[in-house]
This record gives sequence, structure tokens and C-alpha cells, in this order.
Amino acid sequence: MKGNRALLALWALFWLLMIAVEIQDNYGDRGIQWWEPYLWEGSSCFAATLWLLVERRAADHWNQYLAQPWQWFARHLAWMPIVIVTFIAAIYGIRHGIYALTTETYEHEPWSFIFMYESIKLVLFAGLWLGIIFGLESFARWRHEREQLLTLQKHLAESQLAQLRAQLQPHFLFNALNTISSLMQVDVERADRLLTRLADLLRSSLQASSRNTTSLREELKLLELYAQIMQERFTDHVTLNWKIAEDALDTPIPPMLLQPLLENAFKHGVERSRRPVNIQVTAEKHGDELRVTIFNSDSTLSAEPSSGIGLRNCRERLEVLYRGRASLRLEPHDSGVAARLALPVNPS
Amino acid sequence: MIRVLVVDDETPARDKLRRWLAEQADLSVVGECADGLEAAASIASLQPDAVFLDIQMPGLSGLEVAAQLEPAHAPLIVFVTAFDEHAIKAFDLNAVDYLLKPYDKDRLIKTLERLRSRRGNAVAGGASPGDVAIRTARAQTGASGRLLVPQGEQLQLIDASSVHWLEADDNYVHVHTAQARYMLRRTLSDLLEQLGERFVRIHKSVAVNLSEVKSLSPLFKGDHEVHMRGGAVLRMSRRYKDELFGRMGR
Repeated sequence: MKGNRALLALWALFWLLMIAVEIQDNYGDRGIQWWEPYLWEGSSCFAATLWLLVERRAADHWNQYLAQPWQWFARHLAWMPIVIVTFIAAIYGIRHGIYALTTETYEHEPWSFIFMYESIKLVLFAGLWLGIIFGLESFARWRHEREQLLTLQKHLAESQLAQLRAQLQPHFLFNALNTISSLMQVDVERADRLLTRLADLLRSSLQASSRNTTSLREELKLLELYAQIMQERFTDHVTLNWKIAEDALDTPIPPMLLQPLLENAFKHGVERSRRPVNIQVTAEKHGDELRVTIFNSDSTLSAEPSSGIGLRNCRERLEVLYRGRASLRLEPHDSGVAARLALPVNPS
Repeated sequence: MIRVLVVDDETPARDKLRRWLAEQADLSVVGECADGLEAAASIASLQPDAVFLDIQMPGLSGLEVAAQLEPAHAPLIVFVTAFDEHAIKAFDLNAVDYLLKPYDKDRLIKTLERLRSRRGNAVAGGASPGDVAIRTARAQTGASGRLLVPQGEQLQLIDASSVHWLEADDNYVHVHTAQARYMLRRTLSDLLEQLGERFVRIHKSVAVNLSEVKSLSPLFKGDHEVHMRGGAVLRMSRRYKDELFGRMGR
């Protein structure tokens, strides 16, 4: 674990510092052998390290209290009496043992003082290290949770996209079927042509919804099929103009993104108007942006209080896919409404 | 003979329906309309017995056309729609006739059979045949709040919120707005039912738009004067006092 490695490095640094301070304290003191400071600090380091290892072995046990810091600290500090006793016994045992092997004698304060002194020192240092361990563990937990959250969000975004993926509206399908059913009473060939267009459109839209990206070229083919069917329905009622820049055609775009916009132009422009309506579709590259505008004459924005699900879906899809780098605006334009879409040419 | 009006904004759809209706001996198609306003005008002038009314149309939807009709004098209505889940649920609930597009001849004939029996019942019972359809349509369009008024030879749509007050006068209702006064051949009660919550009666023959009321001043015996924002001063009889006060939150 990364957290443990950082802890180990800090621990080593701390003890090096402690030994260095001890050596410096006794530097030039003739009455003290060179190895004595090493023994003093070394024995403390040894005993403390053993206890640290014990604490780390039970890390999982402590971690369940990370969310309640008081619990976490209290449960650690409950061990202090036994830590103090074993610590003092261990270090003084070691020191006396080693001294016994040499000609030196180990002189120290009376035991009662030692016990007090070491206890206070231990509690202070234990508090310091518990603070450090708590910080490191909390950080590791936070990072882990954030990673989990990110993956979760990614999955969520994917399923959202799947849901938002535009489909031909049942409204449109039933109306087209009805036009065919009416037309075939009077003009079998026209009805047949319309039926074929509808089949083509269904096929393209099914293909489109199984892919993550398509090109503007493919999407425009789908739009043209849709427009042809709608033109059959509203024969003298609508004219369409396409102004597509050649160099924009290969731009990758999410499939079925434009269709709902064209559908809106028909729904709010053509279907609600008694006058002939003009629809204009323009697409061009502008720096590293693809700009698509779908304009319809003869409708107003304010007349649409609940500006449909189609539009909201488009916006949500753009947000999930491009995170603020794409935009879709609806605005009044020349006694009509223009839907303006801007996408980055290079996704990712 | 049942006189039928066909309303649909798509030519092929009208052609098909007219052709199939023409095959019925007891039906005659007396007119065709391509949008809602035209339909409202034709229903008033031709007084058909039955209307095949497409819902989705430019200008004024079929539901809105129906909502403007007075149930007492309305023709039988068969709504025609390709896809409108919401309305269809309401039609089923209230047993309103409708035809789902696309339809074949069998389905049309079934609808016609229902239409004939409904007409027979209505004639025998003296009830208005279009009643349920109109009430259902009003419930569906309730929030849209638009009113169809005659303007010279033509019909015009105005916002219900632009109406300041209404005044009954024999068989007519005068509709007062800031700029104009329209005369509708309707009863006040029916108009109030169509316009809904926004309006409240202050007199047997007068109703006001609540948001246009400026102030009230008491007269004798519990009667009040109602001062409208537009300047008009109307008399409120005490019979209607409680309702107005209640609605104005007093």
C-alpha cells in the first residue's frame, strides 16, 4: 500500500533524526562511549517499531472507525498502558543486557522517575504518530472512494447516454404510416416510394443507434430521408435548403443528434403553420468547431412553453459527451427559430 | 341523412376519408377543412351532425376546436389521431369516439356504427350528442386558455387572460378586453366552464377575470361595486360575494 510506504519513510526519517539529536547532545562528552547514543535510541526505535507493526497488522480493524475520529483515537489510546509497560521493560532490558556485555555501567534516573518520564514521552509521540497514521489512512480512503465515485459516474454517464440516445418518435412513425395508408388509395407508386423511404430511414436509425459516433455525412443522409418523408406529407407546405460545407462532411458526431432538431423544425414550424414554411440546414467548420444551424421560418420561441423532450435529450447528451465544450441554443431569427449547435471537431 | 364535416390538415388523409364516407348511403360529406380555425367556422355555418376532427393541426388543434363548442348545440365528434397517448387515455376513460390513424375500412365502419347508435340515442333522449367529447376536450386543453371570438366575418383566437370581464345578454355573451368587445353566441355558464378557474361570477349575468379586479367598495345590504383595472365599475350582488371573497383570498 502506498500509504504504508509513505509511513515507513516518515518513520525512518523520524528515527534518524532522533539518533542524530542524541549523538549531537552527547558530542564531546568524554564520559560516554561512541556507541551509547546508538544503543539508547536504537532500543527505543526497536520497541516502537514492533508496536507500530502490531498497529499496522490490525489496520483493517482500525479503519472501520475512520469515519468517527474520536472512536479511532480512543480505541488506539486504550492500548497505551500495555504499550507503556512493555516499551519501558523492553528498552531498559535491552540496554542493561548490552551494557552487561561491556565494561561500562548503565546509569539512569530512579525507576519511578523513568516510568513517569517515558510515559509522558510515549503518550506525546504516540499522539503525534497516531495523528500521522490517521491522516494517511483517511487520505487513502478518500482517494479510494473518489476512484470508486469516478468509475460509478462513468458507468452512470454510459447508461445515461444509452437512455438519451435519440430514437425516431412514435408520433412521427404513426403519422408517416397514416400518410402512406391515405396515399395508397390514390397513388400507389407514390405510396410505395414513401414506404421505401420509411424503411430506409428505419434501417439507418437502427444502425445509428448501435454506434457511438457517426460522420456528419451519414447523419445528413438520415436527415434527408426524414425530410423527404415529411415533404411527402406536407407537399406544398414546406421547402428545404441545404448548405453544407464540403470540408465539414467527415466530422465525427454522435448519431441521431441532428434528427430531433429537424423534427422540431417540422413540428413547431411546418405542422403548426398555415403558411408555407422554409427550413434551412447549414453546416460549416469554424476553426476546430463544427457549427450546424437548423432554421425554420414562421414560428416563435415563446409559443413553446414546454420546449420538448427532444431538445432536452440533445442538451444532456452533449453535456455527457463533451462536458461543456459543445453548445445548443435556440433563438429567434428572421421571423422564425434557429437551432444553433456547436461541437468540437476533435472529440475526447 | 347524417351530414358530416371532415377536418384534417393532410390532403391525402381527407381524400381517403371522404372517399370511404361517400360509400355509405346514409352519410353525406358537407364540407372539408384543413385547419382548426376553418373547422370552427364551418361547424358554426354548416351545422353538421357529425365531425371527424383531426387532433394535430396547425393554428388550432382539434381538441381546442372541440373545447370552444357549446355542448348543448354541438355535433357528434369523432377525434382522429395518429399518436396522442394522453388524449387517448382520456377518450377511453370517458367513452369518447376516436379513430386511430392509420385505419382500415373495417375500423371506420365500426366507428360509423357507434356513431349511428349514439346519434339515435341522442335524438331519442333529447340529449346533446357532443357533450362528453367537448367536456373531455376541455379537460385536455384546460391550461391552454384560448378563446375563439368572431371578428367581422372571421374567427379569431384571443388569450383568455386578455379578457377583462364577461356580460350575458339574452342568447349572447359580451366579451370585454382592453381594446375590444366581442359578441359570442354562447351561454355565460358554458363559457365560464370552458375558461375555468380564472373567472368568477359576480352577478347573475356578469363574470370577471380575477386578476383584473382593482378594488371593491361596499354598497347597501351587502352589495358591492367592483372596480376593474380597465376602469369599468360593475355591480356585485351579495349572492356571489362569498365566492369572490373566497377566491381573492379574504
